[in-house]
Amino acid sequence: MKKYIFLLLVILSINSSFAQFVISNGQSSMELSSNFSGFYNYRVMKPGEVDDSKDRFKLRDAQIGIDGHIGKDFEYSFKADIADMAANTITNVIDPENPGLLNANVTYKGFKFMEVEMGYGKLYYSRNSMVPLENSAYWQAAEITRGSVFSVRDIGVTLKKNFWHQRANAYLGAYTGLGELSLAGDNDPSGKLEYIGRFDVSFPCRYRYTEIDERHTPIPMFQFGVAGRYADKKLPPGTAFPANATSTYGLKVIDGERYVYGFDASFQYMGFSAQFEIHQMHSRPQNPNDPLFQNYTLNQTNGYILSGGYIAQINYYVKNIRTILSARYEELDLNDLVIGSARRFSPAIGYKLKGYNNAMVKFQYFNILRDESIDPQDFKQQFRLGFQFQLK
Amino acid sequence: MIFKNYLLIGILFISLSNTAQKAIKIKPTKHVFVSVPEPSDICYDSKTDTFFIVSDAGGLFETDKDCKVLRKKPQDGADFEAVSSDGTFVYAVDESNRTIYKYDIQTLQLIKKFVIPYNGARNKGYESFDFDKARNRYVLITESNPAILFELDTDFKVTNQTDISAIAKDISSARFHDGFLWLLSDEDMMLIKLNPTTYEVLQKWSLPVINPEGLAFDKEGNMLISCDDMQRVYYFNNPEKK
Repeated sequence: MKKYIFLLLVILSINSSFAQFVISNGQSSMELSSNFSGFYNYRVMKPGEVDDSKDRFKLRDAQIGIDGHIGKDFEYSFKADIADMAANTITNVIDPENPGLLNANVTYKGFKFMEVEMGYGKLYYSRNSMVPLENSAYWQAAEITRGSVFSVRDIGVTLKKNFWHQRANAYLGAYTGLGELSLAGDNDPSGKLEYIGRFDVSFPCRYRYTEIDERHTPIPMFQFGVAGRYADKKLPPGTAFPANATSTYGLKVIDGERYVYGFDASFQYMGFSAQFEIHQMHSRPQNPNDPLFQNYTLNQTNGYILSGGYIAQINYYVKNIRTILSARYEELDLNDLVIGSARRFSPAIGYKLKGYNNAMVKFQYFNILRDESIDPQDFKQQFRLGFQFQLK
Repeated sequence: MIFKNYLLIGILFISLSNTAQKAIKIKPTKHVFVSVPEPSDICYDSKTDTFFIVSDAGGLFETDKDCKVLRKKPQDGADFEAVSSDGTFVYAVDESNRTIYKYDIQTLQLIKKFVIPYNGARNKGYESFDFDKARNRYVLITESNPAILFELDTDFKVTNQTDISAIAKDISSARFHDGFLWLLSDEDMMLIKLNPTTYEVLQKWSLPVINPEGLAFDKEGNMLISCDDMQRVYYFNNPEKK
């Protein structure tokens, strides 16, 4: 812990003494960036629930980033969150979804026909998870895209190509398939990889991966994306996944075959923007007694379960008072063998402080409209108010 | 009831946004597709009667008045964001490497490179560059957070700097024309006319184009604006001509 604090202080002192963000020698450059955020969280508990430990202040981010390029052909990105590392050290438990490392990758641009990204970082699958949360008014992503249902980061290789004057993008990659747990260094006993592909196209021009129309775009812009991922991780008899690999819902990695398909659509015009994203998971556990089958027989399930959900979000950017207004509705069905699904509604406001565009006060309200019976929550509503400051 | 409250709050915020000061709206007379990937700035050279366009991908292109590419210089820089010419040389500015490339206008051969250090964010570096003939100096402007206008002498030494962040959310191009300094803002989609010595804002025009990044005036004083995302050049009548 002391080491992390010392490192943070050293880096901050470099920033403040030289006000330095970029170092360049005319051929290459290296940029330092950071992101600090914290919030107060308050929950309205369900009747009978007594654990109020989530009424708290929390340091959400204390991130340090180093990005840059070497000549024309290499780009690199490193980002770590010291808040997550400190939390993991204090509790002596590594949070598998927040291990502290966010990015450590290199992109090679020397091939004319495509780019190759190698290392650890965000997966090119879900548009919602590809958009940095710090650019939105939200403190927390929708449940389906925040890393507990399917992974949003992993180690591997991605081939990237854009077409049609950057209006279309294609991504194809192979990864360990264990998500953030891939940082432990080993694959699971199946030794198999996960394969992910994504293709998106926008009209009438390039559409960057953003959610908020801060420019008040004068022409309606659209983007549509399709994505898929596949893993066959049938474990050999007598073996098991690493601890926490399957995550909260037991879906992130399964002992068997899993296909995931997604579709997303985005729109922006004159400050208004909207996003819609839907995913379906088709899981085929190899063991008929797998808990995912909920004690149903093979004849009843045909050997597979379906999971999935969608997110619908609308936003408006009030330009002259630098304020983001957002509202999000989400539905998540963790298992089609269990009746019902979870529904949540979450509006949010982000106010950018005058004088520095990267300082924002953010408020998010969560309303759990309905729980799924296999994932009951102990709270009904949640309020989260905090401050975010980015050096970039 | 709860949804009604959200709706009322939303309407209140949106109505507040309508109180902003209105700039004069102008419309393009035509636009053309330009065969330059990610065109980030454009300038007019009166001696050659051609335009020069630079690209985010680092290339320098010469075009005719219809923006048809006549010549192109293979990629030298990593991220060209500004261009200017004086009849003898063409200057292209690399935003992330903080470097000005000086080319011979006849041969497009690289003559010299000047590194002008700036510690701001990598993609918030130099975005605008032009020569002020009346005062025999160059201006070099960073994009945003903050937008700093550097005055350079003819040896590219910084002689003065002014924070012009209050003028617009960002500055994507600058051009001296008709005795004034003209700025373009991408994020505000705005054309701004300034006093060239005090940098006082004299007039603003709003532009109905996505991602305006480059600004040029042709020999008749008509205005051309290049747009990165649309890969287009828009033609406008001189905004001050009635």
